[in-house]
Amino acid sequence: MIGDSASFLAVGAALFILGGIGFVTRRNLILIFLSAELMLHGVSLTLLTFGRVHRNLEGQAFTIFILTVAACEAALGLSLILALYQHSKSLDVDLWSKLREADLPAPLLALDAGEPPLETAPSPAPLPRLAPAGLPPIIDDDFPAELAATVDARTIITPSPPDDGEYR
Amino acid sequence: MTASIGRLTTPASIFNRLHAWLTDLAPPLACMPLEFQQLVLWLIPAAPLAAAVVISLLGPKLLRERSHWPCWLALAVSTACALVLLTNIMPQSFEGGDSATGVVAVGYPWISIGEMQVRIDLRADAMSTLMLSMVTSVSLLVSVFSAGYMHGDRGYARFFAAFSLFVFSMAMLVLSGNYMQLFIFWELVGLCSYLLIGFWFQKPSAAAAAKKAFVVNRIGDMGLILGIFLIWTTFGSLDFASVLFSPETLSQAATAHPGRITTICFLLLAGAMGKSAQFPLHVWLPDAMEGPTPVSALIHAATMVTAGVYLVARSTPLFALAPDAQLFVTGIGAATALLAALIALTQMDLKRVLAYSTVSQLGFMFMALGVGAAGAELATAGATAGMFHLFTHGFFKALLFLAAGSVMHAMGDVIDMRHFSGLRRSLPITHWTFLCGAAALAGVPLLAGFWSKDEILAVLHEAGRHERVGGFFTAIYWIAAATAFLTAFYAFRAYFMTFWGPQRFPPEAGHHPHDAPPAMAWPLRLLAVAALFVGLAAAATHWFARYLAHTPGMAHEGEHAFHIDLMVASGVIAVAGIALAWFMYVRRPGLAASLSQAGRRLYDLSYRKFYFDELFLAALVLPLRAFAWLCYMADVHVIDRLVDAAGAAPRVASRLPRLLHTGLVSNYALMMWAGVLAYLGFLLGLIG
Amino acid sequence: MTLTAAQGTMLASVATSAVGMWLALSPRAMRLRIIGAAIASAALVVAVTALDGPRGALDDQILFWLFAGSALVSSVFMVTSREPVYAALWFALATLGACGLFMLLSAPFLAAATVIVYAGAIIVTFLFVIMLAQQTGYTFYDQRARTPAAAIVASWLLLGALLWSYQQWQNEPVNVAAGPALTADANPNPFSQPDSEATAHSMRALGRSLFGDYLYAVEIAGTLLLVAAIGAIAIAPRRAEGTI
Repeated sequence: MIGDSASFLAVGAALFILGGIGFVTRRNLILIFLSAELMLHGVSLTLLTFGRVHRNLEGQAFTIFILTVAACEAALGLSLILALYQHSKSLDVDLWSKLREADLPAPLLALDAGEPPLETAPSPAPLPRLAPAGLPPIIDDDFPAELAATVDARTIITPSPPDDGEYR
Repeated sequence: MTASIGRLTTPASIFNRLHAWLTDLAPPLACMPLEFQQLVLWLIPAAPLAAAVVISLLGPKLLRERSHWPCWLALAVSTACALVLLTNIMPQSFEGGDSATGVVAVGYPWISIGEMQVRIDLRADAMSTLMLSMVTSVSLLVSVFSAGYMHGDRGYARFFAAFSLFVFSMAMLVLSGNYMQLFIFWELVGLCSYLLIGFWFQKPSAAAAAKKAFVVNRIGDMGLILGIFLIWTTFGSLDFASVLFSPETLSQAATAHPGRITTICFLLLAGAMGKSAQFPLHVWLPDAMEGPTPVSALIHAATMVTAGVYLVARSTPLFALAPDAQLFVTGIGAATALLAALIALTQMDLKRVLAYSTVSQLGFMFMALGVGAAGAELATAGATAGMFHLFTHGFFKALLFLAAGSVMHAMGDVIDMRHFSGLRRSLPITHWTFLCGAAALAGVPLLAGFWSKDEILAVLHEAGRHERVGGFFTAIYWIAAATAFLTAFYAFRAYFMTFWGPQRFPPEAGHHPHDAPPAMAWPLRLLAVAALFVGLAAAATHWFARYLAHTPGMAHEGEHAFHIDLMVASGVIAVAGIALAWFMYVRRPGLAASLSQAGRRLYDLSYRKFYFDELFLAALVLPLRAFAWLCYMADVHVIDRLVDAAGAAPRVASRLPRLLHTGLVSNYALMMWAGVLAYLGFLLGLIG
Repeated sequence: MTLTAAQGTMLASVATSAVGMWLALSPRAMRLRIIGAAIASAALVVAVTALDGPRGALDDQILFWLFAGSALVSSVFMVTSREPVYAALWFALATLGACGLFMLLSAPFLAAATVIVYAGAIIVTFLFVIMLAQQTGYTFYDQRARTPAAAIVASWLLLGALLWSYQQWQNEPVNVAAGPALTADANPNPFSQPDSEATAHSMRALGRSLFGDYLYAVEIAGTLLLVAAIGAIAIAPRRAEGTI
């Protein structure tokens, strides 16, 4: 018997579902992220409700951990988004689809008519390859000339760039 | 062997003097404690093994041109130990004579399956000690020679590593206490032989020769291991002690399984024929001359190829119960000896002449090993004669090969006798030592080969008196005599063609060919001395026969005798052969050519080695190639297709699921939704 | 199978909200999409009314509907908004609504913490990122939802199933044996059982629970935060590289 808590549960379920909808349908990296947070709200609400139903504090304790993890996730996720943005100058999640089977013509379920054609990530400058930890990056022919000229290479800490399909 | 045509008892004085000298030397050694004996025994194989390990680990980087030092040291230790052992297990008194002694160093149990116990043991008795002393001393001399001969070769360290490994394997083979261990080291010497024949593996001919030796030996080895299996099922043991040396077990087995012993003997003989290059498995040995000459001298003349003879001699108690097998041994030996001698008549390659000579002499040994068919009392005499020829042959054939190596060294690796002649002035040491070896091989009276060949002729002659198989052995006797004549002829043909006549050098030799350097000269000199005197020392005193008679399992023979008339006859045969060679190649140099023109067909038959290689090619190799081609086709067109189909199946099956791999995060999330939905359905009892 | 009135209401409103959502996500005119979003959120609220609302004082009921309504409406608008900045603001509003519900569930500490963490920190960070990354205004990838129909069908099936089962549970005891044995032999955490109803939801009780039963978990979570902070610093690109 959950009695009058059912309406709280219903709101939690609705929040969860709406977050899921957003996660699936949005193409903006940040909005996808926000949708995931919305799903977490729904889960938190459900946990709290069940905690009240069972008359103990475990639901609340659990929610605190959810908060913690959400904060960590937000910090790391936003830095990753910034790193991705740095490379493609776009927040479109479709640009990051390297896992696709190579010979599939285009994202299968993605395209409606009239959408601008899927463009590959413009790469403004070739990125330096990630140097092993603690070592300065090797400045060779592949290193962007403008970076090598203007920046002290030893201060660069570069996230691993997604490769552009040129395996060396 | 009491009845004989004419007999001459040993000059007792010579023997007594030798005996007195030995007993002066022997007591401190003979009184050695058991631990010391065992240490000595262990050291014989362990020292070369250690050398092989050290050279192969350190050789290429550290030792390089000094790689021969560990080998020399180890072989010197082995030789010293073998000689100590020789004096040590020598019976205390030659007169008493019936205390058969042996030393067994306790090894360790290697395989223990149910009732089957296989041990790795070192076991020395008179026969193995005699053989060991020959093996180790010849290897020591050859290793010293090799240091000069192989100088500057890129695989210098590799050579000495394989060389040491070979000596280790050979010592272990001779010291084996059971058939299993014997088989293992039988294969290991085969491996070393393979490694050393193919030492210059860059040469396609050397690689092919190594492969041929290995494959032909496999044929014989299959017989050997089947024989060992049969020994196991018959006797329940593989130990020499329980199979060979207990007459009760042997007679029990012979009555329990009639015909089984004969089968075992034939199977063991197959192995011996492969290893000792007996007809028709002799084809690998001449090709094995592609290896470095010291290898030919040691492995393919003196030691490894005699392992077959050793095996048959060691199994004398078994063969004594199988007269049919013994007749076969003699017959094969005679056929091989005659055939190889005929081929050797026309070969132009000095090393090939010697190789066929080796095959022929091994045939002689086999002839002697089979005389037991003409009466069990002759079996020991036959084994003694065979082992004695093995012993002397080891020395003079190694000498001949080393001298041929020295010629090769001086002639810039040219070995075809048509390209050089008259070398006796520019290569004096080589000339004299080769002469000693050739004379010993030819059986010039009082030299090593004379004594041993004479003993073989004597036992064959004795066997000819048997009422049932006498005729067979008489025929064998005449074949042996004819072969002895041919031997003398081809040995001196090679000698005269190389060292007499006008002095000619091939262009490869350079301006002034130089004789052997000291490292090569001293082994030649020592071996020449051995070739001259070892027969006299061992046979004239009957020392060898008496010593060997202390081998367990060898029936004691009565008073030994010399056959003066046979000795005179074989001396005449040898001198006649030499004289003919001198007449044809020194006196009338054109005669040989005109004769070969006259008997063109026969000449070709001999020169082309009786077309054995062609025969094998047509009868064995080509059908096998065809079969291999069939298998290849089946592999490519049937099996590969099946594998391809197995690989293609997932590709076909994945055609649809692959479409889900769009690489878009949202689509993956949607699939997760579907999964959650399915799980919820399961929770609510809608699904499953 | 005959449906009760409440069940009928619930299913009908869920279906309506699905249609509204589809309208809101489709590439139509602005007004139509706003109408769709309004329909969807209203229908969701109606669906919640199909379950028993909170019984108690009137002000409690008013607060519940206020918070639930604002959370649902702002969630729908957040999901359907075509401008990331608006979406983030809608998300902040949804967070506030959810926090109000936390309050009603006697979890004042959590409500405060969530407001501080989300509305205070995370939203601000999101806005920063959006401002920095998207200075150009409209982008084509925000204008069009991906696979709206499939997502709506899947999600609303889930929602319908959840609400249906909540409605069932409301009036009958949960048949634990019917489902998988989730709590077979669980040992209840002693510190998480409140002594009395009065102290049940005090911060003191929560503190006892956290630092009694979940001490290790708290420590690990603290470490996780530290690691995440360091990781974020390490990953985030520098301005020196001219990234943004």
